[in-house]
Amino acid sequence: MSGKKVLVVDDEVHIIHVVAIKLRNNGYEVVTADNGAEAFEAALKENPDIVVTDFQMPVMSGLELIEKLRQCDQTRDIPVIMLTARSFAISKEQQESLRIAGCLSKPFSPKELLENIEDILYQKELMVDN
Amino acid sequence: MKFGRNLYLVVTGIVAFSLFIGGLAQWQSSGTGEGWCFAGYLQRWGSCVLVCYVVAAVGVILLGWYWFSLAGKITSIANYIRQDKLDCIKPGTNAVINTLTEGVKERFDRYIRHITELENQIKDLQIQIQLSQRREKNTEAIIYSIRDAVIVIDEFDKLLMANEAAGTLFGFDFRTSRHKLISELIDADRHKFVELLSHSRQTGGRATRQEIEFFQEGKPRTFDCIISRVYDQAERICGVVAAMHDVTREKEISQMKNDFVSHVSHELKTPLASIMAYSEMLSDGEADDEQTRKEFYSVIQNQAKRLNRLIEDILNVSRIESGLIKINKVPVSLTILIEEQLQMIKSYAEEKNIEIIGQKPIVFDQVYADKDMISQVIVNLLSNAIKYTRPGGSVRIKTEVDEIAGLARVSITDTGVGIPENELGHLFEKFYRVEANKNVAKGTGLGLNLVKQILEKVHNGRVFVESKVGVGSTFGFELPLATREPVEAMLR
Repeated sequence: MSGKKVLVVDDEVHIIHVVAIKLRNNGYEVVTADNGAEAFEAALKENPDIVVTDFQMPVMSGLELIEKLRQCDQTRDIPVIMLTARSFAISKEQQESLRIAGCLSKPFSPKELLENIEDILYQKELMVDN
Repeated sequence: MKFGRNLYLVVTGIVAFSLFIGGLAQWQSSGTGEGWCFAGYLQRWGSCVLVCYVVAAVGVILLGWYWFSLAGKITSIANYIRQDKLDCIKPGTNAVINTLTEGVKERFDRYIRHITELENQIKDLQIQIQLSQRREKNTEAIIYSIRDAVIVIDEFDKLLMANEAAGTLFGFDFRTSRHKLISELIDADRHKFVELLSHSRQTGGRATRQEIEFFQEGKPRTFDCIISRVYDQAERICGVVAAMHDVTREKEISQMKNDFVSHVSHELKTPLASIMAYSEMLSDGEADDEQTRKEFYSVIQNQAKRLNRLIEDILNVSRIESGLIKINKVPVSLTILIEEQLQMIKSYAEEKNIEIIGQKPIVFDQVYADKDMISQVIVNLLSNAIKYTRPGGSVRIKTEVDEIAGLARVSITDTGVGIPENELGHLFEKFYRVEANKNVAKGTGLGLNLVKQILEKVHNGRVFVESKVGVGSTFGFELPLATREPVEAMLR
């Protein structure tokens, strides 16, 4: 999956840092943003293959970001993984309606996040091929 | 009795006989063609008729005397009866009177026994009524003393009893509303409750429990309604008792607890997430060089410190709220405490190139306070001022003494980012952070809550804040001067 672009969104600089290192070490290109609004701008500009976003952020939350991504033609099909310290805050219905590809609870394992990203991008490629 | 009857028969016979003789004479006269002649009549039957008339007259006189005498006795008996003097009626020679007297006495005795029985029954009933009234009053007293709203209705949905709380809640005067339909007494917007009452009465089971929300003075209030059916001896539903407990506050507290736990878990998980992610990266050999490894160790250390600070803050807030914290109040000078804390925080201000402008010590600014707690207040306010002030700015500390009010006042004014006016009221809430300033500095949202708890709950002081966006903020507090604080406070 090397060469794929991942947009990492979190207001915790250490989380962005560690996720970025993990992904870069595994051949991914990483773009970062520290709130939903910045992330939406970055998504329009960078056209990432996948978005990894925190749930609770200032200015614009992770859920609001996903809603905005789904409403825009350019970004509606970008898969999103949600990182959250409040796993119960997102219902199954919300996950399905917003097409959230995966949800990881904080504290999370960078290795597990990488595996999730790889699985989702692999499935996306299969769908494109078909 | 017999005498009267015999006399009556004799007189009646004589009168009948004389009339017969008279009639016969009339018949004989008409048969011979002669007209009826009184003289002839007397000539033939005169002596006989005369005897008959004399006897009849005597008989009538005797009969009249007898009946008059009988009537007199009956009248006197009636008078005795009227005057309730039955004992004065003595048995006489007259069998009629004796029979009548005995009959009346018997009847009278029966009536007296009956009346006595009835009187006893009335007394029993009166006792029962008094007991019932006392029980009702006791029940009313119990119901009126209950702070929850209580309503009792009968099987026709008419109000039997209600206490003042119910009257206030539903807006009726419970003393004048008895036996009125409950649907007429309760406003249309609360008909859900009326429906619940009717439904509970109609359905089986002993009790129903349901939460109902009403608007009271424009605010939603939640009531826990327990509706119990009342059964008579034949096990028929004869009414319904509804008790409504206002659980609004409990729900708010429960919500606050949930929010608190949710906030705490989020705040704890954030540094924990960094610690776990960085340690995993180290163990997986993802940090290639020594510098990266050092950087990872440093992040882990800082996040562990952050976690520890957060736990300490949570515990301090919790200890103060629960009253379990040990308070050691001694006379302390605020100026000296500020100086001590300034020394600790000086390097942080220098790092950010922020000037600290202090005030010269004043003569007497002693307060009875827990030194560690007030130091915590000062350091929290000072570090906040430095955190939210951009490099090149300043933080001014001012200590004043208002001897008339008996207060020492400390103000910390910064030239920082400021706080929007609509957020000032929420600043001291747990975990509250100003949205616009979240990116300026990190924080748990517990520091200012701790400041407020220490000052207001532990020291009877006051915290205040003034701010203008883009200009800066002034946070400060007031504490009673030691001279005005009762000596007992020191011993608490």
